Amino acid sequence: MRFMVLVKASKDSEAGVLPDERLLTEMGNYNEELVNAGVMLAGEGLHPSSQGARVTFSGGKTTVVDGPFTEAKELIAGFWLWQVQSKEEAIEWVKRCPNPMPGTEAEIEIRQIFDPDDFGPALTPELREQEERLRAQSAGKH
Amino acid sequence: MRVMVLLKANQDTEAGVMPSTEILTAMGKYNEELAKAGVMLAGEGLHPSSRGARVKFAGEKTAVTDGPFSETKELIAGFWLWQVKSMDEAIEWARRAPFDGGAEVEIRRVFEAEDFGEAFTPELREQEERLRAQAAEKQ
Repeated sequence: MRFMVLVKASKDSEAGVLPDERLLTEMGNYNEELVNAGVMLAGEGLHPSSQGARVTFSGGKTTVVDGPFTEAKELIAGFWLWQVQSKEEAIEWVKRCPNPMPGTEAEIEIRQIFDPDDFGPALTPELREQEERLRAQSAGKH
Repeated sequence: MRVMVLLKANQDTEAGVMPSTEILTAMGKYNEELAKAGVMLAGEGLHPSSRGARVKFAGEKTAVTDGPFSETKELIAGFWLWQVKSMDEAIEWARRAPFDGGAEVEIRRVFEAEDFGEAFTPELREQEERLRAQAAEKQ
């Protein structure tokens, strides 16, 4: 099963403080372990929300609000996608992560990713075929 | 530049209400447009937070809390990764998404290796590129 592992933002990450060489080294080593174990599928870091935007959809209309957004603890600063056997395995891997926000309390959220089978008959054979084709096309872009 | 587009959760997604064929069709059509335009890099949906967990780091200690988590509006229900020319292009694509009823997406810029400056030494950069290639093979 696949999980998305979300690193929550902090005051520092929202202020644009970049990781130092030590944290980048620790993260590199941790990522190395994840890859060697066949767990890692992807991972990215995000710029502060000041460089982002939100779009809301209501009654056929869209509204755009530019960042920054104030609730640092609710914001995401980065993520991984992992392939593991269980939620417990994902939790064990997260516990081994170097504190991604040194000097402050950091939080990581683990969420299970949908697989096509989870959608039942609503995902018709035609939609499933489309999904697989688009997934292959997108993967070729990486 | 690459952006991450985060779809916020709502009461339905958190209650485990699954999308109908109609919604899945509209989403498939939108994803088709994104792929044709060369914008789509990845996209996934997430199970409700009731199947998730949180890990807090304080000092050397970690504390685990199982889901569900109550602040629905702060939770994520899915995401895309897009390759676009600008934030404006990302916003234009987002506006075309088949959402309604107060749905919200958040668009965030993804870090590139050069954003980290000198702290990201040539050795670390080489490691990153190698791990990225290895991880991509797993997908």
